[in-house]
Amino acid sequence: MNVLWLLALILLSLMYWVGGKQGVKSFFTIFFNFSIIIVAIIFMADPARNPVILALLACVTIGYVNLFFLNGNNVKTKAAFLSSMLTIAVLMIGIYFITELTHIQGFGEEEGEEIAALSVMIGIDFVQLMASVIILSTIGAIIDNAISIASPMNEIHRYHPNLKRKELFRRGMAIGKDILGTSANTIFFAFFGSFLALLVWFKDLSYSFGDVVNARVLSAELITVLFAGAGVAIIIPVTAWVTAFVLEKGWFRGKEGEG
Amino acid sequence: MNKVMMQLKTMKKQNYIFYTTVLFIVIASIVFVHHNHGLYDKPIGVVTEVNLINEEPTTDRAGNEDTRGQQELYLKLQNGNQKGEQVTVIDEFTGSKATGDRYRTGDQLFLSINGEEARVEGVKRDYYLVYVAWFFIFALLLVGKKQGLMALLSLAINSLILSFALDAFIQTSNVSLLFVSLICIVLFTVISLLMVNGRSIKTYAAIFATLSGMLALLAITSILLYVTGGTGLRFEEMQFLTRHPEVIFLAGVLIGALGAVMDVAITITSSLYNLFEKNNKITLEQLNSSGKAIGKDIMGTMTNILFFVYISGSIPIIIIYIKNAVPLSFALSHTISLDIARALAGGIGIVVTIPIAIYIINYLISRKQVRS
Repeated sequence: MNVLWLLALILLSLMYWVGGKQGVKSFFTIFFNFSIIIVAIIFMADPARNPVILALLACVTIGYVNLFFLNGNNVKTKAAFLSSMLTIAVLMIGIYFITELTHIQGFGEEEGEEIAALSVMIGIDFVQLMASVIILSTIGAIIDNAISIASPMNEIHRYHPNLKRKELFRRGMAIGKDILGTSANTIFFAFFGSFLALLVWFKDLSYSFGDVVNARVLSAELITVLFAGAGVAIIIPVTAWVTAFVLEKGWFRGKEGEG
Repeated sequence: MNKVMMQLKTMKKQNYIFYTTVLFIVIASIVFVHHNHGLYDKPIGVVTEVNLINEEPTTDRAGNEDTRGQQELYLKLQNGNQKGEQVTVIDEFTGSKATGDRYRTGDQLFLSINGEEARVEGVKRDYYLVYVAWFFIFALLLVGKKQGLMALLSLAINSLILSFALDAFIQTSNVSLLFVSLICIVLFTVISLLMVNGRSIKTYAAIFATLSGMLALLAITSILLYVTGGTGLRFEEMQFLTRHPEVIFLAGVLIGALGAVMDVAITITSSLYNLFEKNNKITLEQLNSSGKAIGKDIMGTMTNILFFVYISGSIPIIIIYIKNAVPLSFALSHTISLDIARALAGGIGIVVTIPIAIYIINYLISRKQVRS
């Protein structure tokens, strides 16, 4: 049997064992996300459409599904959604700018012979595609941090409804600081794992330090991981501020019972 | 009172010294990367003028429209014995920028110069990397203060360990990469958890849970790879490698999942231990159900983080396949089988760690309860 199906089956059983019905829901969210990415890819394959806009739309959909489908429609998920989208929009500007300047898009020798048989003259702007890749790599971690801060802030507000916005913000920042280290770690190891093969290859070819640092693939990976790391940090004050603001103003309180 | 004032003053002074040092390092590093051309053997030229020679529309076999053209670049050499001289390069580009890009004035390019003939070999990107690195470092420091600094230090130490480990692996070919990465994983776990979370019983429990979880993940994935012989995984994606792609893949799976597994382990051990500290008489059943509730909440999002990191990188290559009229299912199985396997295996590591972490912290707490 195919390894992928077996892995998926094991993951599904484990998630069901630990989380019951919610575990099954978590499992299918992964496939939901996969479908969103595939749909985005199909849309991006049309040169008439702008990949960056499509990536941002994909981020909105992913945020919507992951926050509202998994955690319900309430004050904390709305605050987390708003914060994630704000952060993504701001990051995207920097990412696009740097991708354009560094020429990190496109393909190189590490892609193997397979790419040589294919035409890359497909009329799609690869700078925009690369910027989309970077933002989509980051979205999961950004949403995770946003909900991890908004959710306990909402609890604090529930037990201490008289707390001022400034104090709520301070509490949110304290929660954020506690999770910053581990979430930066999660992102970094994930990238270490995915470019381990590349590093072995560079070492095998005895590339010099200068060659490695300036190589297109490695710069692309490093720029992605650094933006992702900055993203998980920037989402913290943004979420703390937005959630404090929203809670104090009493916005999004349509269904208080679920909060 | 005086003592407090003194402390405040010295703290301010320390801060002042700290910020001045950081500012100095930032400026020094930026000056350095803008003037390090002499350290490179390859000639480097700064583009001073770009002239478009021609640009023509193209259509490939699958009917995709693009453009191809030539640009004339004037460059001023920055290093070597021809430093300061002007070079002219005729360079090709494509409209989609997938293979050849159009350059702008100010771009710094590596060249190969053979008599009168010069060619573009690559782009000098080190100074941009330094800018982005500082952006990242300041984001972590400004938001996380001390915690941010500790996270940065542990990342730096872990990168150094990985680099040394890879050197050891390359130089002594009889040491298996898997063995090297297992040692690395133990080091990474101990260093990251201790540095980010400090020394406490929660951290020790998390270290133990992480290592057990990783062991379980290693067992599950290697048994699967052995039983199936790796059907469905296209190791050809890593065909640029000269040595066993299976082993490198497995090592990558383990290292890639490690951060998420540590995250899950510390989240569970520290929240359960906090519950115990608030209420010393809490029962094991209560701890168990709280642990499961927390685990349930985080396992989905944690797996999603890995999923997005792994899948996104393959978007451009999948689009290339689609635009070459390759069916989507074929394109996917040829480009992201390894990435999907990595994400699923990472998810298994995350979920498996939840009951392990609960069990370990329960064991520690029940021993404490018996003693008191």
